[in-house]
Amino acid sequence: MGLEFLTRVRRTTLWVTAIAALWSATYTTPRLGLAVALGAAWSLVNLFLIEKLVVGLTGPDRGTPPALKRIWLALSGMVALFGAGAVLLSTLPPIGAMAGFMLPLATIVLKAASLLVLGSRLWPRVLRAGPRALGVALVIAVALWAGASLVTRVIANQGTTPPAAHEPRAPGAQPQAAPGHDAPAGTETHAPGAAEGGHAAADEGPQKFANVITVLSRAFPQAEWAHFLHQYEVVIFSLFIAFLVCLVAWLASRRAKLIPSGLQNAVEALVESLNDFIVGILGPKFGPRYVPFLGTLFIYILAMNLFGLIPFMDSPTSNLNVTVGLALVVFVYSQYTGIRELGVVGYLDHLAGNPRTPLSWGLVPLMLPIHVMGELAKPISLSCRLFGNIFGEDMLLVAFVTLGITTLSFANLPIGLPLQLPFMFLALLTSTLQALVFTVLSTIYLLLMLPHDDHEHEGEGQHAH
Amino acid sequence: MDFHAALGWGLPVGIGLAAIGSGIGLGGIGNGAMQAIGRQPEATGKIQLAMIIIAALAEALTIYAFVTMFLLQGKISG
Repeated sequence: MGLEFLTRVRRTTLWVTAIAALWSATYTTPRLGLAVALGAAWSLVNLFLIEKLVVGLTGPDRGTPPALKRIWLALSGMVALFGAGAVLLSTLPPIGAMAGFMLPLATIVLKAASLLVLGSRLWPRVLRAGPRALGVALVIAVALWAGASLVTRVIANQGTTPPAAHEPRAPGAQPQAAPGHDAPAGTETHAPGAAEGGHAAADEGPQKFANVITVLSRAFPQAEWAHFLHQYEVVIFSLFIAFLVCLVAWLASRRAKLIPSGLQNAVEALVESLNDFIVGILGPKFGPRYVPFLGTLFIYILAMNLFGLIPFMDSPTSNLNVTVGLALVVFVYSQYTGIRELGVVGYLDHLAGNPRTPLSWGLVPLMLPIHVMGELAKPISLSCRLFGNIFGEDMLLVAFVTLGITTLSFANLPIGLPLQLPFMFLALLTSTLQALVFTVLSTIYLLLMLPHDDHEHEGEGQHAH
Repeated sequence: MDFHAALGWGLPVGIGLAAIGSGIGLGGIGNGAMQAIGRQPEATGKIQLAMIIIAALAEALTIYAFVTMFLLQGKISG
C-alpha cells in the first residue's frame, strides 16, 4: 500500500462522490448535494496535503530546501483548510458535509479491508466451491437487509416516543438524541419498559452504552422476545463469551502438533504462564490440581472485561450479579477444599485459629466469629471490587463520550470528539489487572485453606541456610 | 438541609475522602515495594505479586465508596 494505493483511492472517491452528490441533490435538496460534494473535496485535499507532508518528511530528498518548502506549504495549506472546513460546516447542512468528509475515509477502509480479504487463504477456499460462495453471498445479503431494517426501525421508534411523556422527572437530562452507536443510551431505553408498564424502575440508574440487545429491544418495543432478551442480556452475553472461549480452545487444540505454531502457540504460551504462576503460589504439590479452575477463571474474567470494549457489546462483569456469582463459586470451592483437605475437625480447628495452648483455647470464642466474618467478607470484597472497577470504567467512557458529543453540540452534528480514546487504553489496563487480581486473590484464599505445614518447614529450612 | 441535599453533598465528598485514604495507602505500598525491589532486584517477581495483592486490597476501599455512590445516586433527584 503505497502512493499508488492513494491514487486509486482518489479516483474511486471522485466517482462515488459524484454519484452521491448528484443523488442527494436530486432526491433531497440541492444544498445537501453541494455539501456532500464540498465535504468530499475538503477531505480529498486534506488527504493530498497529508500525503505531501509525509512524503516531504520521509522521502529520499528530505532535509533539502525544496522538501522543506513543500512541508511548509502543506502545513499552511492545512491551517487554511481547517478554516474553510469551519465555514463549510456553519453555512451548509452539516450532515451532508460530514457524509462528504467520511467518503474518502470509508473508501480507504473498504479498499484496505478488501485487499486483506483477497490476500488471505480463506477467499480462494470460499470461491472454489459454488454452493459455499452462494451461501456466503446469501448470508451477507440477509445481514445487510436485517441491519438496514433494524436501523430504520430504531430511528422510527425514536421519533415516535417523546421522552417527556413517561419521563417527567428529567426531560432535558439526556444528550440530544444523537444517532450513531457512540452515543450512550439515552432515555429511549425506557421506552420498552414504560410501554409495558411497571418495568421502568428496573431500568433506572446510570445508562450504559447501547449494545446489540438494547438496540433490538428499542427496535421492537412491544415484542415479548425482545423484552425477554433485554431482561436476560447479561446471561446471554456471558454464555456467548463462554462459548467463544470454548471455541478458541477447540480451534487451538484441534490439530495439536509437537512444534506449535499460530493459535496453538499463543494459547499454549498463555496456559503455560498461568500454570507457572499458580504453581508458583500454591506449590508443586497442590498447584497442578487447581490450575484448571483458577486459569479458567482468569481467562473467562479477562474475556468478559474486554468484551465491553467491542462496539455494540457489553461486559457482563459490569453487572453485580455476575461478579457475585463468580465470587460465590470461589467461596464455595475454597470452603469445600478446606473441608476435603483438612477434614471436618481440621476445618473447624482452622476456623478457631488452630488453638494449641490454654491461652489460645481461651481466645476461641473471640477468634471463631472473627474468622467466620473474614470468610464471609471475602466473596463480598471480591465481587464488589471487580464490579466497581469494570462498571466505573464503563461509566468513565460514557462520561467522556457524552462530553465529546456536548463539545460539538453547537454545530448540531451527529458525531462527537473522540475524547474517550485515552481512557480506552486505561480500560485495557484495568481489565487485565482486575482479572489478575481476582485470580490471585482466589489463589490466596485457596492457599489459606490448604494444609501448609510442609510450607512452613520449607520456609524454616530456607532461613537456616 | 433536607435528605436530597445531604446526599448530593455527601456522596461526592465521601468518594473524595475514600480516594484520599486509598491514595495514601497506595503511595505507601508503592514506596515499600520500590525500596524492596531496589534492595533485592532478584526478588522482583515475588515483591510485585504481593504489591499487586495489597494494592488491590487498598484500592477496594475506594471502590466500595464508588459502589455506594451508584447505589444511592438515584435517590438524589428523588
